[in-house]
Order: sequence, then C-alpha cells, then structure tokens
Amino acid sequence: MEEKEAVAMNTVPKMFWHGVQTRGPKTIFRQKNFGIWQSVTWDELGRAAREIGMGLASLGYQPGEVVSILSNTNREWMCADLGALGAAGVVNGIYPTDAAPQVEYLLADSGSVYAFVEDEEQLDKLLEVRAKVPGLRRIIVFDMEGLHDLSDPQIISLEALRALGREYDAAHPGEWERRIGLRKPEDLAILVYTSGTTGKPKGAMISHQNIVVTCEGYQAGFPQGERDERMAFLPLCHIAERVGGEYHAIYSGAVLNFVENPDTVPENVREISPTVFTAVPRVWEKFYSGVLIRLKEAGPIQQWAYQVAIGIGYRQARLREERKPVPAGLGFAFWLARLLVLNNVRKVIGVHRSKVLVTGAAPISPDLVRWYMALGLDMVEVWGQTESCGAVTSNLGGAIKPGSIGPRMSHAEVKVSPEGELLVRGKTVFMGYLNQPEKTAETLKDGWLHTGDVGKVDDEGYFYITDRMKDIIITAGGKNITPSEFENQLKFSPYITDAVVIGEKRPYLTSLVMIDHENVEKFAQDNAIPFSNYMSLCRRPEVQELIQSEIDRVNKAFARVEQVKKFRLIEQKLTAEDEELTPTMKLKRKLVNEKYKDLIESMYVREAA
Amino acid sequence: MSDSLLELANIEASYGPVQALRGVTLAVPKGKIVTVLGANGAGKSTILKTISGIIDPSKGQIRFEGAEIQSRDPAWIVRRGISHVPEGREVFPLLSVEENLRMGAYTRSDAEGIAQDIDMVFGYFPILRERARQEAGLLSGGQQQMLAISRALLARPSLMLMDEPSLGLSPLLTQEIFRIITRINREKGTTILLVEQNANMALQVADYGYVLEVGRIVMEDTCKRLLEKEDVQEFYLGMKAQGARGQRRWKKKKQWR
Repeated sequence: MEEKEAVAMNTVPKMFWHGVQTRGPKTIFRQKNFGIWQSVTWDELGRAAREIGMGLASLGYQPGEVVSILSNTNREWMCADLGALGAAGVVNGIYPTDAAPQVEYLLADSGSVYAFVEDEEQLDKLLEVRAKVPGLRRIIVFDMEGLHDLSDPQIISLEALRALGREYDAAHPGEWERRIGLRKPEDLAILVYTSGTTGKPKGAMISHQNIVVTCEGYQAGFPQGERDERMAFLPLCHIAERVGGEYHAIYSGAVLNFVENPDTVPENVREISPTVFTAVPRVWEKFYSGVLIRLKEAGPIQQWAYQVAIGIGYRQARLREERKPVPAGLGFAFWLARLLVLNNVRKVIGVHRSKVLVTGAAPISPDLVRWYMALGLDMVEVWGQTESCGAVTSNLGGAIKPGSIGPRMSHAEVKVSPEGELLVRGKTVFMGYLNQPEKTAETLKDGWLHTGDVGKVDDEGYFYITDRMKDIIITAGGKNITPSEFENQLKFSPYITDAVVIGEKRPYLTSLVMIDHENVEKFAQDNAIPFSNYMSLCRRPEVQELIQSEIDRVNKAFARVEQVKKFRLIEQKLTAEDEELTPTMKLKRKLVNEKYKDLIESMYVREAA
Repeated sequence: MSDSLLELANIEASYGPVQALRGVTLAVPKGKIVTVLGANGAGKSTILKTISGIIDPSKGQIRFEGAEIQSRDPAWIVRRGISHVPEGREVFPLLSVEENLRMGAYTRSDAEGIAQDIDMVFGYFPILRERARQEAGLLSGGQQQMLAISRALLARPSLMLMDEPSLGLSPLLTQEIFRIITRINREKGTTILLVEQNANMALQVADYGYVLEVGRIVMEDTCKRLLEKEDVQEFYLGMKAQGARGQRRWKKKKQWR
C-alpha cells in the first residue's frame, strides 16, 4: 500500500492531484482580498488548475512545452504553475522586477510558448519585446484591470482561458487525468534561472524527481502538516519559495498564506503568526532591527526589563547551544522572562507560534541566530542552491550550531573536496543548464554537483561555509581573504543593509556600504542632524562617523590584514529594480565592483604626505 | 549656506497625533525664489505655517537672518520681515480693498511709507486701484489673489511665503500672477518661498526646488535640473512614456534620483 502511494506521487502533478483527491474540502492557501483573508480549498485549487491546464490544451499546448510566469507571488501564480504542470508542461518563473530586455532573454532562452503575466504593468513589458520573441503564441493576463478595452488576438484573460478549459474538459473527458500521468520522474518540471552575477542568467533544469525527493527530505527535516501555517512571500521564481513553500505545502498539506505585497510582510506575519517560518537573512535582520529601534523609544523600565529578560534568554540559549542541561532555576527564570517580556517581543514580530524558523539563501550572522534562540525559538540555518533543488544541509532543532549550515539532510550526500569545495550528490541534483552543455559539464563532474562554495566539516558532520570560491580576494600582499565573513558581521548592524568588501590585488581592504535608510534616517532625526534627501543623508559627517564606528566594531574581531581601512557609502537608494541588487536584495559583488569603479579608486588614492 | 536668508533644520511638526513634517531641512538663499513641490497632504502648507509662527514645530530650528525664530509669535515674525500669503487668499471680505491693504501694514506706523507702498502695489495690479473702495468679498478669485499678495507686500517683507497662488485661477491669470511674482523678486529683491501644485509654473519661475513627499524631502536641485528628472516629469509634470499599448494606467515606482 505504502509502496503504491510512493509510486503514485513520483511527479509534481501526481503529488498535487493526489492531494486534491484526499484533502478536498480542506484549506490549501489564503490570500487577503479587500482586507479579509480568504481561504481556498484543495478542491477549488484543483478546479482552477484543471481549467487552466485544459485551457492551455485547448490552445494546442503540447506536453513538454514551456510556459513562463511573470508575476509577484500570489495565488494565480500557484494556480497557473500547477495548471501547466498538470497539463504535462514545463514552467519557468520570471522575476516581476526584471526589465523588458531581461524578460525577452528569458522568454527566448527558455523557448516559452505561453506567458502568464500578472497585470497591466507586466503586460506592457511583454508587449515591448514580443516582436522579438516569435515563439510566443499567447499571453494570459491574471488581472485585467484597465485592460478590458484591449482587443489583441494574442492576449486573453485568465478567466477566458479557464472558460476555454471548462469547455475543452467537457468535450475531452479523461484528458486531464491522462496528462497528469504523462510525465516521468526524470522529466524536466521547472526552469529556474540563476541570478547570474556575471554574464547571462543560466536556466537550471529541475526534474520532477528532484522536487519530489526534496519534498520528502524537507518533510523529514521540518515535519509539517495540515494544521501548520506558513507565509508565502519570497519570489516563487526562486527555488526556496517554489519548493520549500509551494511544493512542500502540496506535499504536506500545510496552509500557505500569500502576503498582500512585499511591503506588507511584517503586518501579514503578525496577522497569520506562522507555525513554520522560512525567510532570508534580510527579513530576520529587519525584524531584529525593528525590535531594537522600538526598544530605543521605550521607557527606561521597559528597556531594563528587556535587558534582564534577554540576558536570561542568552544564558539558557548558550546552554542549549552547548547541549548542557538547563538548571531548574534558570529554566524557571527563563519561563518568567518569556511570560513577562520575551513573549511580547515574539508577538511584535509575529513568531510567537513558530515551531521552527528556517533561514537560508544567504549567510546569516551567528549572533542573529543566537538572538532568536534567546527568545526561546529554534532557528535553523539551511544551505543549498538552485542546482541542488534547494536545501541539502540543515541544522537540527535541539542541536543548533550557530554559524554552521548543519549536517547533510536525509535526501542528499554532501562532502568537502580536497580543494575545500562543497560537493553534493543524490537525486536532488539538477539535470543541467538549459542550452549550456559546457556550463553543465563544469558544474556536474563524476556525478557530483560542484557548488562553488568553500567550506569545511566538523567531526559531528556539521558543515561550515567560508565563502564562495570565486569571491575569495587575494590582496596585493598575497593574503587570501574571505570577504563574506566581514560583510556578515557588518550587516548585523541595524544601520547597514549590505556591504561589499573590496581588495583584490590591492594593498588593503575597503568596503562599499549600503545604509539602512529607515534606521539611519531615524538616527539623524533623533540627533538633530539636518539632511534633506537620501544623498545628503549619506554625506552627513555624523552618518559617516556612525558607519565608521560600526566598521571599527567589526574590525576588532579581525586580524590587521583582514581589517577594512576605508569605506564609501552608496549614495543612491537602490531598489529591487536596480541591476546592482539581486531580487533578494543582495548587492552583486562583480557588478558593484564594476559600476562603482571610480568610488572604489577614490579609496586607493595615495594621500599626499 | 552662509548667504541663506532662511534656514530650516530638521523641522518636525504635527497636527495632534498626525505628524505632518518628519524632519525637513531646507535653505532659501537671499534674493532667490525657492519652490517646494508636493502632492496634497505632503506638508507644503505646514512648512509655511511653521515658518510664520502659526504652528510651533515639535523639533528643529528655523533661522532667519541667522537668528532662531521658531515658536515665536506670528506678529513678531511679521515685524522681522516675513509675510505669508495664505492658501485660498483669506482676504477680509467685508473690508474694502484699501482697508485690506492697510491691514497688511498693521505693524507699521509710517503713514507716508504706507501710502507710497499702496501706490506701488496699485502699479503692479492696476485693477485694484479701480476697485479700491469696493468690498474685497466682491472681487473675482484672481483679483483676490492679487489683493492677498499686495497685502503681504504692505508689510515690506524681505521674505514672502506664498501658498499656492495659482489655486483656482485660469491658466492665463496664473501666468499673470507668476509674472508679477517674478517682477517683485527682480525689482524689489524680495526673497520668495513658493509652495505650488502647479509644478510646471513653479519650476519655470523658481531658481531652486525641493520635492516633498509625506513630510520628507526626497529630492532637491536647481529647477533647471529638476525639470529634467524622470520622476519629476512623470509625477509632477504629467509626462510619461506611453509604452507599447499607448494607454498606460499603472504608475511606476518613485525613486527620486
């Protein structure tokens, strides 16, 4: 029986359809509409996906053909994804922040025949480039607001597609079920383009088996079920939300909650209070600095209470980290600290019901992990990449080592090569890069995925990442420097969002720093530092001093050659649309090095004696 | 910024629980026209009211001719040389045009000078001379605006604060008013801080501009350069790329750079 079930669930469509049939009236996701969280059941999702899949089939969609989805994370994204996969198709996600030329490249490279777009804004991008993408047959629009007058034979609304699907389904009974069973585990399921700090993005080919095996591994690592609540807010084009969010929810039955838009994440988290919460370090940093800033505004008694309570929190967290028993007295003190203070902090963030916090996609400062542990939470750092279909190592709840990415998960093998590179093997390793056999050959060697991350492993099998292989800096003095260690320490400051350490073939290290606009602005106002716009804020000597003091603080933890001697602030406020940032708001090292060349040079001008 | 007649540093002001200004820093150089652009509710009028002493700032300093003037009595501030032309004219409707003008000179006692100045404003706005005996409430909107400006001039200000002088005026009359504003600035050397929704007009006449968004300055530059900024063009001048469809409805994100 169990065997049979495992066979039945070996592709995403089968896994999904099995869920629809067994969980029918239960809730699969919610989305806020006009201020109210509205639930959607498995049955409703099944119907939507079926109509979309059959709608595509009625237009002539053939198994194995690619559709692209260009939208923010929302329910339609998920419906379209499952509809196209159910119709035996392949789905590629495009970041809604991508500009028209990038969209053109991704559509052409992936060979997309249909494109789903969120709304008018995204549609306009497509219309700008559609003449150069002759393979594109139809564009399907989720939200037709402002487009009802549009008559263009190539464009139809999602609603109209679903109506076509209903007709087609009635005329072709059994076709949907046939298509559901069509794909084999080793077939291509989704394309995930990696952000590519240099050159054109590469389309990683992820098979059904990659996804199903990863879901099984996730379920073993972070068990969850129909009673669990999760947030869905990271881009669905990214492997973390796609597999860890959408597909794992389909696998386990956990309820997904789509945020209204990227700006309402903190509010929505408080409303939902997820039980399992996966996010990127930037989000955890934001929550932390939010608490810190609020604390500064609080009265002296509250500040004192927080200091005492978090102190107790840190003490029990240290014992937990050292895996020593917490003495009864400290246990009671911590219970009291939580009751009186820390539970409120958890509520302010919205994590008071969380069983586990998962962080990944970028390195996180160990101090930040310890802070969450001091609140009595388990924060597990995971590591993986698109090419491994998501996380393959994870810390274990109850045996967390801050700073480590944890031991390997059950579904993959991980080892350190003689050169110090982390290698991954197993059924989660991707099929290769689309249209780029030579890049694939560089990455997949002798059955091992070469991740490009440099690290080590301890005697308990916990892995540690020291840096990206290509990021290592060799200074003019010949010293090898791993910049991310310094950068991660720096990002722990509430005033710094991101930083890039520079020093390749240079006599000393320097850094470009992106300030946290909100917190630095608040600092300026509290200290009566006059400024007008972002640039003038960056140029204030007091702000420069503030950042210098943060750099000095981090410098103390490093040897002389590893210290940052000078820094410059990036004076333009960067947004996700800017090429300098990845969609997850990290600075792209190579691009920043190029683009701010003059600014960097200014830090190496020999000062007149 | 030593040649600034007026300087605001980190001004914060609220209406009860609602914070209208969240730290505004700006400078008005002597003899220049400076404009503050912004949508409804951005806090433009609040800036002017805070300068003229109608509202006390909760934080920050206002320096006029080098001395701090924040939270002082409005009449004291008028005597220092700052006149406020309020939004919506606010002329005294039951007083005659001439009486309105004399109200503007309330803080002065030199009868001869006042008479000269009344003559001068009649020179700027001949229509007011014709209507000198009429009740101000019977004037047209444009004439009331002329009267409000004239009334402010009667205090012989070195700095005039103008709150949306184009409000409710026809395009032709708006041009007329702005022509006179420029003339006053050039001929009398009166420094002007101008708040406007009619961004195009304001950027044409002013030397330097600030863009205010929800109580914060997001952009500042010479008006010449502001006119070339993409965001200013899109959000304040109503020029936008039409895209492939020719009827774009969505708004791009403001970046202010």
